[in-house]
Amino acid sequence: MAGKDPARLLHFYEDMLRIRFFEEKVRDVLLPQRLFRGSSDLYIGQEAVAVGALHALRDDDPVISTHRGHGHALARNLDPYALFCEIMGRTPGTCHGKGGSMHIADAGRHFVGENPVVGSSAPMAAGLALACALERNDRVVACFFGEGALNTGAFNEAANLASLWRLPVLFLCENNLYAISVPLEKASAITELENRACCYGIKGQRVNGMRVMDVYEAVSQAAGPMREAAAPAYLVFDTYRFEGHHTADKQTYRPDDEALRQFRERDPIHILEREMIEDHTVDLDTSIAYRDRIRAEIDDALARALEAPWPEPEEALVGVYAKGEVE
Amino acid sequence: MASGKMRNITFAQAVRTALREEMKRDERVIVFGEDVGQYGGVYGCTTGLQREFGEERVRDTPISEMGIAGIAVGAALAGYRPVAEIMYVDFLTHASDGIVNNAAKWHYMSGGQFSVPVVFRSPGGGGAGYAAQHSQNLEAWFAHIPGLKVVVPGVPRDARGLLKAAIRDDDPVVFIEHKAHYGFKGEMPADEELIPFGVAEVKREGTDVTIVSWSRTLTFALEAAEQLAGEGISAEVVDPRTLQPLDITTICESVAKTRHLVVAHEAVTFGGFGGEIVAQVTEHAWESLDRPPLRIGAPFVPLPYSEPMETFVIPQVSDLVARVRAYLG
Repeated sequence: MAGKDPARLLHFYEDMLRIRFFEEKVRDVLLPQRLFRGSSDLYIGQEAVAVGALHALRDDDPVISTHRGHGHALARNLDPYALFCEIMGRTPGTCHGKGGSMHIADAGRHFVGENPVVGSSAPMAAGLALACALERNDRVVACFFGEGALNTGAFNEAANLASLWRLPVLFLCENNLYAISVPLEKASAITELENRACCYGIKGQRVNGMRVMDVYEAVSQAAGPMREAAAPAYLVFDTYRFEGHHTADKQTYRPDDEALRQFRERDPIHILEREMIEDHTVDLDTSIAYRDRIRAEIDDALARALEAPWPEPEEALVGVYAKGEVE
Repeated sequence: MASGKMRNITFAQAVRTALREEMKRDERVIVFGEDVGQYGGVYGCTTGLQREFGEERVRDTPISEMGIAGIAVGAALAGYRPVAEIMYVDFLTHASDGIVNNAAKWHYMSGGQFSVPVVFRSPGGGGAGYAAQHSQNLEAWFAHIPGLKVVVPGVPRDARGLLKAAIRDDDPVVFIEHKAHYGFKGEMPADEELIPFGVAEVKREGTDVTIVSWSRTLTFALEAAEQLAGEGISAEVVDPRTLQPLDITTICESVAKTRHLVVAHEAVTFGGFGGEIVAQVTEHAWESLDRPPLRIGAPFVPLPYSEPMETFVIPQVSDLVARVRAYLG
């Protein structure tokens, strides 16, 4: 199995740790010190989905993400320093401070951006895929969204159009069980979410989103045929967010011990570590060395970001239109 | 315009001419929307385009305005120049997530990394008996959104020249046509013509009063000016042609000459774009005005169906004549 390639597993491990440590800095440093505005939606717990999926895709496959998109951005190799800067509103941020935590984008890495209007990204993904189809390139558009987006009209319009027009949209549904506070079973008439696109002729597949190898295999198998003959595919990943919806979430809607229990049983990084140690891909010392190295990298990125310059207030007036300034 | 030859065409033909010329010029221009393919659009603006350019570039969509708008934005982000037809301005409410939240914002929000060269064409306005849900005038909504450009042509020549400019523009454009005006005829240069945004045109010169108007009401204002001339009132009619960007300079120059300002549009007066023009003129050219400006628009009601009521609500030529006369009296 390709997923068992030790070098690949270590690469997964490294990228998942990077996301985890990055988000822990947001939670443990940026939040208490009030270094960002609004809210920040943490990806902790879902790392296997972003990493497995984006490793299975090519670097030139466009990605469109959600409000919970730091993980997708980092898995697409965006610079943690540029992400920290953007979240803190500093000039070297990916969007020079105009976007913030919910609007990370990087055109050069085909990371079209986070779209925090739930469901809104699905028709955009279909449009990006229409461009692929018209150009007859063999790219696949990765459209990440949470299970809450399945209930929007936008998703349903996009799924129908993508299937009707044979557009290479890879719908990647991260089922983390909650839409802010509302649990899946109170929001969706059916909980077998893999069936939510079959009425449009798009086969759905349910995948363990906590096991990065499973994600990688499923996305690889889905994307391959899409490159040969453009058509959409739809995968649902069972996952869980160990943190609140956003950093200000009081989490009154789930039992006190639920997140902790989920973390003990389902942490995707622990699952990967355990399997790698059992397979002798790594020993404990190697895994500690990886953790130390990535942690130091994130520490360094944050330290530099904290020193990064602020934009001049008047820069707010620049860049509303592609040419020219606000009048 | 080298030859100076003119053709007499309808508003719908002018729209179609612009689409055809731009599709021939640039293969990245694609057209889609409900019934725009074989059927040629419910108002005939895309007649023959699918036959000429094929089903890949001219596509019928399902009834999915949110999907249409989102696909247009996505394709534009990937370098295409989509022209999406939204069958009625009223349905822009469905499409507005793509237009307002995504198209208008993506360039700014990404720090300038992306641009969104998309055109949303949509017929607005009443006068055709379609009642409250197929007749609205929502140009002020979209002109209020930073990142959007709003185009409101009143005559065929402007429709063609402005639509061509809209398609070549790197920013999202909401291009509002008037459904009761597609058969309106006017002169259009035989040769290609592009009309830049943010340049108002004085459609009729006059000395006593400036009437600013656009879309179908512009042609009513021109008729009203003709009738007023018979009464010895010389009205200047200024067509801004685009509301965002807005050429307030030309409007202020006209008011400096006539010392009187009337803004006439079909939209509801309250919160309508006339208020913005009046505010800007009073801010920039207060000393030019001999009396407070006058806004002419619809009363604050949804558009009724029955003809006597609909005609009563929509400002007609006779209303413009009477109200301008009274304003100057």
